[in-house]
Amino acid sequence: MFWPPTLIAADGSHLPARAAEQATEQEKPAAKRRLPPAWPHSLANRTLLTLLLGLVVVQAAGLTIHAFDRIELQRFAELREIGIRVMSIYRSVVATSVGERAVTLKEMELGPGVTGAIADNPPAVPELTPPPYLGQIRVNMGLVPVRAANRAREVQIRGTPWSEMIVVAMEFPDQGWLVLRVPVPRPRPWHSPTFLLAFVLMTVAAAVLSFWAVRRLTRPVSLLAEAAERLGRDVNAPPLPETGPDEVIRAAVAFNTMAARIRRFVQDRTFMISAIGHDLRTPITRLKLRAEFIDDDEQRHKFMADLDELDAMVSATLVFGRDTADTEPAVAFDLVALLRTVLDDCADARPERADALSFTGPTHLTVTGRILALKRSFANLVGNAVKYGDAARVTLNVADGQAVVTVEDDGPGLPPDELERIFEPFYRVEDSRNRETGGTGLGLPIARNILRAHGGDVVLGNRAGGGARAVVTLPA
Amino acid sequence: MPHILIVDDDREIRELLARFLERNRFRVTAVRDGREARRNWPLGHYQLVVLDLMLPGESGLDLARWLRTQSDVPIVMLTAMGEETDRIIGLELGADDYVPKPFNPRELLARIRAVLRRTSERTEKLVEPAAKSVRFSGWTLEPSRRRLLNPDGVEVALTGGEYDLLVALVERANRVLTRDMLLDLLRGRQAGPFDRAIDVAISRLRRKLEDDGRHAQLIKTVRGGGYVLAADIDRG
Repeated sequence: MFWPPTLIAADGSHLPARAAEQATEQEKPAAKRRLPPAWPHSLANRTLLTLLLGLVVVQAAGLTIHAFDRIELQRFAELREIGIRVMSIYRSVVATSVGERAVTLKEMELGPGVTGAIADNPPAVPELTPPPYLGQIRVNMGLVPVRAANRAREVQIRGTPWSEMIVVAMEFPDQGWLVLRVPVPRPRPWHSPTFLLAFVLMTVAAAVLSFWAVRRLTRPVSLLAEAAERLGRDVNAPPLPETGPDEVIRAAVAFNTMAARIRRFVQDRTFMISAIGHDLRTPITRLKLRAEFIDDDEQRHKFMADLDELDAMVSATLVFGRDTADTEPAVAFDLVALLRTVLDDCADARPERADALSFTGPTHLTVTGRILALKRSFANLVGNAVKYGDAARVTLNVADGQAVVTVEDDGPGLPPDELERIFEPFYRVEDSRNRETGGTGLGLPIARNILRAHGGDVVLGNRAGGGARAVVTLPA
Repeated sequence: MPHILIVDDDREIRELLARFLERNRFRVTAVRDGREARRNWPLGHYQLVVLDLMLPGESGLDLARWLRTQSDVPIVMLTAMGEETDRIIGLELGADDYVPKPFNPRELLARIRAVLRRTSERTEKLVEPAAKSVRFSGWTLEPSRRRLLNPDGVEVALTGGEYDLLVALVERANRVLTRDMLLDLLRGRQAGPFDRAIDVAISRLRRKLEDDGRHAQLIKTVRGGGYVLAADIDRG
């Protein structure tokens, strides 16, 4: 028989899972603080935000291209119409004699917004820009047949800077100019109402689809996180389903393999501790029997006390090792009766401290859990309070669906930097809680293991007036 | 002098325990396993069997089952440390008590004496230890699992002393039990001073049974120093 060094290491290094758990708990808030406040925290929201930003950019670009395209198209259609209209007017006017032209022009239906005049010289208006418009109008003007004798000697096409008005001046073959001012309607790229509706529908559909796709894609990540969380509490948690896209399956398989290895590790450890405990039981029993044959009463008492301490250490080690493999079923029980029982047991064991034990809280509170395990857990906390703090004042409150049990004592309290370390197996606070006061160094780790397995927890703190306070939370 | 059969596979423990019990005025036969126990069983008239749960070959549970077919000799089980399932199975099979190993010899002695005292009046008992459950006033006591359920089926924790006191009261329901009788029934179970503790345990028990101490309906105080559990007992 041997005690493996990992078992008695005081730094708890043989429990990598637990240590890692504590480490992540400490790092989590720090990691959150580094982020800018507007940036979403969840992977899903981040991906969604990125996708939506991309969608907005793409849609904006698409809309712009579409608008330009449409403007161009409308322009060409208008220029075509302008060319033909201008030429038609010219053809009618040139056919009449020089003197009648002004009257003819006046009597003609020129078209909406079009004004015409007979002039001696072309108006001083700058050349129409951009040049392609010019060519377009000329080409269209050429489409209207005119007799060779009536053809204009010169055609000047000019316009205002933004081409809201096109000015066409045509010199008659005999004398004078026909000057026509034709308004160009403003381009209306959003003219069609169905277009905008379709666009909105498209955008909404794309956004909804991205939302759905992102949720679906990031779900395996949160499932993985949940599974890791469950594994931290219970090594026998069910494995992740190995379904979905290849990458997800690979991650799930890797996770399940890791969980299986951890389970093996815990089982091996449990088995080893149990084996040691079982082996120690027989010699301790023999020694206890032998002690009965020691005639010196004082020596026998001391011998027995030593054996009881040894016994307590072995049973605590066994309980600690077996905890995860515990097969006790969960039942509905009265937490108040349990706490009172723990206090009564404690009072029976230490009658001199009976007056320092008290309970405050409701008369009943039904919770579900492994009653013997939880009793052990509370007995450890109350026992610690009495042993190191000379008192145990237990209070029970219910808040937000949680039962909150506090155990307060009148002892010297705990150094603040050891409040968390004290939950490590075999850890001992120096000075106040040395070996002289006995104990196995496993009471608090056992209590915490049991409570965490129930979805609860226990933390230690110091009271303002001195003394330690253990705060237990348990789902109610 | 009561004759006790010890079944334990460890020779040293067997011999030391035999010497210890003989010194305390018991006649002892010690055997190492189930086979020897069966061979020895007809040879003596045993008042009690101390049985180790973990035996080579036939297990302690199988042997207990066999013993139960032979007689209702009281059995005190030596169980593995706090292994609840073994303990519960042992009690369901009709073991009268259990002592976790490594046990304190004096505690084992006290348990043996208590069991002998209880079983000596077994004929007048209303409740056999093997009864599955006992109902009274809506409450359910499950001796096989050593637990108490309230009318809603919610388990109400009891200390060892409270449980034994309740069993003593339920077994003798509607009969007045004096403090001395209760002490006698329970002594050996409880280490330490239990004299005044009877009253303390009664008041704790009343609180858990929601029995108002001043107008107690369930556990009534009888003038002249005694208690009675006033309820109809329904055995199931």
